[in-house]
Amino acid sequence: MKVIDIIKDANANLLRNKLRTFLTILAIFIGSFAIVSTSAIQAGVNSFIDDQVNSYGGEGYLAIVNKDSMDALEGLTNAMGGGNSGPIEYDPDKKQDGMTPINEEQIEKLKKIDGIDGDSIVKQKSLDITYVTSKETDKKYLMGAEALPPGNIKVATINGHSLDLKADEYQLLLEHTYVKALGYDDQNIVDKKIKIVVKDQFTNEEKTFEARVVDVIAPGVVSMSMSYFNNKLADDIYEENTKYYPPEYKDMTAAVAANYDYNKYSAEEIKDKLEDIGLSAMTIDDIVGSIKSFFDVILTVFKIFGFIALIAAAIGIINTLFMAVQERTREIGLDKALGMSSGKVFASFTIEAISLGFWGSVFGIVVSIIIGNIVNVAFHAEGAFLESFPTFNLVIYTIQDVITVTLLIMFIAFLAGTLPARRAAHKNPIDSLRYE
Amino acid sequence: MSKKPLISTRNLRKSYGRRSAAFEALKGINLDIYEGESVAIIGKSGSGKSTLMHLLALLDKPTEGTIKLEGKNTSQFRQHKLNDIRNKKFGFVFQSFFMNSNDTVLNNVILPLKIAGVGFRERRRRALEALRVVDLADKAKNKANDLSGGQKQRVCIARAIVNDPKVIFADEPTGNLDSGTGERIIKLLFGLNERKGITLIIVTHDQDLANMCDRQIHIADGEVVEEGIKQELYDENFDGDNDNDGMREKNTIKRIDVEED
Ligand SMILES: Nc1ncnc2c1ncn2[C@@H]1O[C@H](COP(=O)(O)OP(=O)(O)O)[C@@H](O)[C@H]1O
Ligand SMILES: [Mg+2]
Repeated sequence: MKVIDIIKDANANLLRNKLRTFLTILAIFIGSFAIVSTSAIQAGVNSFIDDQVNSYGGEGYLAIVNKDSMDALEGLTNAMGGGNSGPIEYDPDKKQDGMTPINEEQIEKLKKIDGIDGDSIVKQKSLDITYVTSKETDKKYLMGAEALPPGNIKVATINGHSLDLKADEYQLLLEHTYVKALGYDDQNIVDKKIKIVVKDQFTNEEKTFEARVVDVIAPGVVSMSMSYFNNKLADDIYEENTKYYPPEYKDMTAAVAANYDYNKYSAEEIKDKLEDIGLSAMTIDDIVGSIKSFFDVILTVFKIFGFIALIAAAIGIINTLFMAVQERTREIGLDKALGMSSGKVFASFTIEAISLGFWGSVFGIVVSIIIGNIVNVAFHAEGAFLESFPTFNLVIYTIQDVITVTLLIMFIAFLAGTLPARRAAHKNPIDSLRYE
Repeated sequence: MSKKPLISTRNLRKSYGRRSAAFEALKGINLDIYEGESVAIIGKSGSGKSTLMHLLALLDKPTEGTIKLEGKNTSQFRQHKLNDIRNKKFGFVFQSFFMNSNDTVLNNVILPLKIAGVGFRERRRRALEALRVVDLADKAKNKANDLSGGQKQRVCIARAIVNDPKVIFADEPTGNLDSGTGERIIKLLFGLNERKGITLIIVTHDQDLANMCDRQIHIADGEVVEEGIKQELYDENFDGDNDNDGMREKNTIKRIDVEED
């Protein structure tokens, strides 16, 4: 018997008892839907997080500061207000902790560490901004900012504009929580000028920089509450910060960005090596890890639901096919009497099971794609909970995921089908002949 | 006629059930069936006719004894070969029709060819040809269930001949039919026997049907109790020409009475 005939017959047999077939497929559908949907959400979340990771410099990125600065840095990050808690108001009486600079000797040692890419090292100067404000508000806010590191052009922005690093005017990409605080919204703040004030720590004289907001940094899970300045703005503020410093202090490095070979070394190994030369580092995992694991836990729970549904579906397949074997005893007997091998009988029932799996998973995938896209749009509508994350695609369906899930379900269906198929294959044609 | 038997059995035994509750349905059958013959296996219900036929048709394996097909011991054959023989060399007709009643007439007739892996067009052509032989070509598209009993049995005959078999096994082919319809089925079967030389092995409890066969093998309680050939064949082969008795030398040709046993 030809394979194509076995497949055709298997599908024709499924249509004989349509209600039963429908109910069996329904159970598979639920499992397929759950698994494909969670995969799509996971892909959406991962892609979103990856965008953020890439806007830092990808996997292997290290944000390095002096060991003594780590506490100060954490304090600063908290003070700037992480995530959506918004900027902190400026209080002239409260003094911020300073950073201990990284010296040249440490940078030379860093270059020589095995696993650190020497060419990737970028020195970052610390910009000391006293507060920011705008025409639209009387309030003054603290601000963390740095020059956009060269090559770091993938910062996701809400309106899709990017900095002109070499421009002769003052430009910045504004951290998103400042938009409302400064009296604007995400769209109308574009091209508006805000005031960045720097107060000299010795003379208390204030200097104001009027900088054009090029765009707003898209809110993300790894927001470090940093705004990015173009070179001119960063250089001029640094010059202002250090204008009374003796020349040898003018070129201080506050932090270093570097890449390490993450295929060869674990983050812990690299951190230990840096520790030895008095440096402290944060990896991308330190920054995004907790968010990722939060989503992973939720999605794993959903996936487990999906697999439980699939196990139930597998039992459904077994049940359905046992009934079919019973009903078709005479037919199987006739097939075998007329020379069909046990192997072909086995194949015909397992293919029936695989077909059930195939159709169930295909329907699950199709419905998931439809519902996923509707929900994605709905969640980004005004007032919905993803409104403030316009670059976050809730669901991403990849061909790979879709094919993997389909094959997996077909395989589970095959396994389920082997039990009834074995019974069918072992049927004795004589017994079937006598079976009335 | 060939001198070697097509099918021959020696000391064929078949028991059902396990040791203590074992029941011996066949108690040592010796038979030779020659190519082109029509043979009736006749006996009362429960005498073991179907059991014997199933063994001859390689549908089942004997508990003891041998079945030779064209001189080869079938117990040596692998399952695959047995399947192939049933598929290509044998045709089957059963009392209870034994067909897929929800399928079309054509698909029922196609079944052996489909199992054989014959291509779509070819098997369709051959099935229609077989249906023409049984005069049912116009019913090809009908559902098998919608046919009368006689028509159903003709479909089964079409299915039995669609693969151009050497032997047709018919188990009570007229058992479910009225005598008129039964006669038509008998004519069909004997027509195939005469025109195509297909060996006929008919299981029946109907003496009239048995009388039409070249040879009758009477079975009672799992034993051959009597064997006989048609009077005209007996006359042709043995009356005054004892040199030409080769084909029957292994067979008892005189009538054996049960009492004599
Ligand atoms: N599978 C079986 N298990 C037990 N006994 C059987 C089985 N098949 C047949 N028999 C017994 O063997 C005997 C012969 O049966 P069968 O060959 O069908 O007779 P017939 O066809 O002459 O009516 C009967 O007594 C029947 O009950
Ligand atoms: Mg019988």
